[in-house]
Parts: sequence; structure tokens; C-alpha cells
Amino acid sequence: MTRSRPDDNSVLLVHAYLDGELDPANALGIEQQMSTEPALAAESARVKALQRLIHERLAHEEAPPGLRARIEASVGGLRRSPTQPSWRALAASIALTAMVASGSTWVMVGSEPTNMVADSLVSGHIRALMAPEAVDVLSSDRHTVKPWFNGRIPTSPRVVDLDKQNFPLVGGRIDVVGQTPVSTLVYRRAKHLISLTAMPAESHFELSRTPRTVNGYNVVHWVENGVSYWAISDVAHKDLEEFAQLFRTSPTECTADGAAPCQ
Amino acid sequence: MRLVASGTRDSLSGLDDNARFRSVVMPHIDDAYRLAHWLTGNGTDAEDVVQDASLRAFRAIREFAGGSARSWLLSIVRNTAYSWLRKNRPTAVITVEDLEAVELEHAKPSDPNSETPEAALIAKVDAEQLQAAIAALPTPFRETLVLRDIEGLDYREIAEATEVPIGTVMSRLARARRRLIATIGKEP
Repeated sequence: MTRSRPDDNSVLLVHAYLDGELDPANALGIEQQMSTEPALAAESARVKALQRLIHERLAHEEAPPGLRARIEASVGGLRRSPTQPSWRALAASIALTAMVASGSTWVMVGSEPTNMVADSLVSGHIRALMAPEAVDVLSSDRHTVKPWFNGRIPTSPRVVDLDKQNFPLVGGRIDVVGQTPVSTLVYRRAKHLISLTAMPAESHFELSRTPRTVNGYNVVHWVENGVSYWAISDVAHKDLEEFAQLFRTSPTECTADGAAPCQ
Repeated sequence: MRLVASGTRDSLSGLDDNARFRSVVMPHIDDAYRLAHWLTGNGTDAEDVVQDASLRAFRAIREFAGGSARSWLLSIVRNTAYSWLRKNRPTAVITVEDLEAVELEHAKPSDPNSETPEAALIAKVDAEQLQAAIAALPTPFRETLVLRDIEGLDYREIAEATEVPIGTVMSRLARARRRLIATIGKEP
């Protein structure tokens, strides 16, 4: 009857603590309070259970098919016209611009189309995060993922196993840049997904100017053996660079028939 | 998933309105639809609201000054949903007086009579019960809970989207969760 109840303020702080909204000093304070007041600890357990329930039970509902198209139609002129340049044409135009413009001018002119490739891939990454599955082929086995791309896009991407380095393979999907389908591998670091897109590099100029972040997503870009790679994720930039480094230095996969020898 | 300010403004400069719209609004249509669905209560209305909100966002696209594109769009969706409801379902819209009554009625988050089920019991609740319980929340509580626990906005973003101080966000959120826990805890 006279059992003491936590004051309203402490209750609000428990919720804010679970939402990651408290600064370290307040977080420490409420942690100590929870350890001595069972009512607060129970509140915390219930809220955590509720959040888990919401996360597990409520499917990540998607907009009905056709809604995006209707929005684009109603806004008007949004639908990509057939004359929209592909990323190949974009890359070529960067190269051309670079040749005719002075260096400093080029940085301004050239950065924009490169960002459009990055923007497009970041949008692909975001859509994938919201879809029920971020991948079209779900497998941690690179020997399943790599062949899946055969017949879907002209070249099959390089797939490496980074499981031991804590970047397990999740699967793969096809993204579209401009109007060109490209291969995207999806790796995971803890709860975060990393989309790694590979496409033929058309110009060495595309390396020169790439954004580090697009809409808050970290971007790492490199060109190797004529292939342009884009890694996109919300993991820290440092981790994404580590991932890129591991991907570049891991041995190329080898096939059982010896067609691609082990390195 | 949270979008932060860095990079957004840079990557937008020099884009025309259509390109801006594509990169600011289009990636978040699923979130917009989800919020509209929770606020209107059905999918068809939600589609109308999202389409309406997208047009508003397009007209205001130059006003988007960086920051989280998602929370910018969601606040437009929220406002659109309320004007849509006011026009099409006037009885469903909560007036300011109603709102105050609701706030008063649930002014005590630590009401000793409220149900306090065990966490283990909460984990057994099925999707339908949960959905019904969220739908039954008074609008200001429901929108706060949906923006936080389903859409993943932080307190500051919710405060901006719902045009109330952060303190109000905190108390609404705590009350929304407690009501929800009490409701689903009651079911067998």
C-alpha cells in the first residue's frame, strides 16, 4: 500500500535512457537508480519487451506497388526519360569535361555527375534496407551468390569471403544506375548492412572526386582492374574503409576446375 | 537508420527540383506510407495522403535545407494527414480541447492502478493485438509512439515534426508505451 513509487521524472528518464537520448552523466544516474529501485528496473524491462515486440511483430510495411509511379507521374517530369544518360555516358562526359576544362573548373563540373552515381547507389541501399530482404539472392556462400549474377548482368562480380574478418556475406542484388543494371553484394557488420556495387570503370577520372557521405551514408569508392567499386553503409567511415581494404587484399576466389586459379 | 546533415546539402546543390525530389523524397516513400497508414487507419487513405504530401514536398523542395530528409518528409506527411482527416472525416479529428482532456486524463504516468504486466507476458502478444492496441491510442500518443518506435526518429526530430517541446514528446511517449503495455497485458 505504502510501497514507494518512482517519481514521474525518473520514469521519463528510463524511457529516454532506453532511447539513447541521455548524456553520459544522466545515463549513469538513471542506471544507478534502476539498480536500487526495482520498480524502475521493471519499467525498463517492460519497455524493452515492448520495443522488441514492435520490432518483431510489426512487419516493415512497404508502400503498395504503383504508389511511387503515381507520385512521379503527379509531380510530373520525374520519370527518367529514355534519353537520360547512362552512367557510362556520364563517365564519358566527365572525361570530356576534364579534358577541355582547367583543373579547378573540372572539380566543380565533374563532381556532380559522380555524385549522381553515388546518389543513385545510396538510394538503392536505402530502398534495400526498407524492403523485407535487402538482397535478391540470400546466401552467405559466395559460390551461390556469384553464379546468381550470371545471365542477369554481363559480368559476374568478384566475391570474397570476409566472414572471419567479421564482415559476413548476406547475399546479392541487382541495382540500376541510370539505366544500367549493376551487381551489388551485401555484407554485414554487426547489425549494419554494407552494399558493395561493382561496375566497369569507364574512366580513371571518376576516382578523382567522390563524396565521403551522401544523405548521411558513408561512401568509399575505388577502382581496381578496370572495375569501379562503391561501398555504401551507415557503419563508421573507418569501418567501411577497413572493409574496402579487406575486400581489395583478400585473395580472388578460385574455382574447383582451375579456371580461376587460387592466389 | 538515421540520416544526418553532413553531405546532404553538398550533394543537393546544383540539382534541379526534380532531381532534388528524387534524392530527398523518393527514398522515404515507404516510411511516409507507414506513418500515413497509422494516422489515417487504412491503406487507401494513406495512399491519398502520401500522394498529397509528396506534392507539397515537391512544391517546398527548395525549403529543405539539409538535415534529415526522412524526418522532413514525415512532418509534411503528418500535417497532410491531419488536414486530410479534417476535410474527409471531420468527426475523427481530435480538437485542441479534446487533446487537453486526453492529456489530463492520462496525466499520471505512474498511476498505481495501471496494469503492470511482466515483460515475459508482453513478449507473447501477437501482431493483431499489438496493432489494435496501437490503433486505439489517442492520436497525439499514437503519432509520438509511431515516430519513435516504428519510424525511429529521435526526440528532437519528433519535437520538430509534431511541433511540441521535447518535454511533451517525452511524457507522451512514456504514456503511450504504458497504455500500450497495460492494454496488451490485459489480454489472456
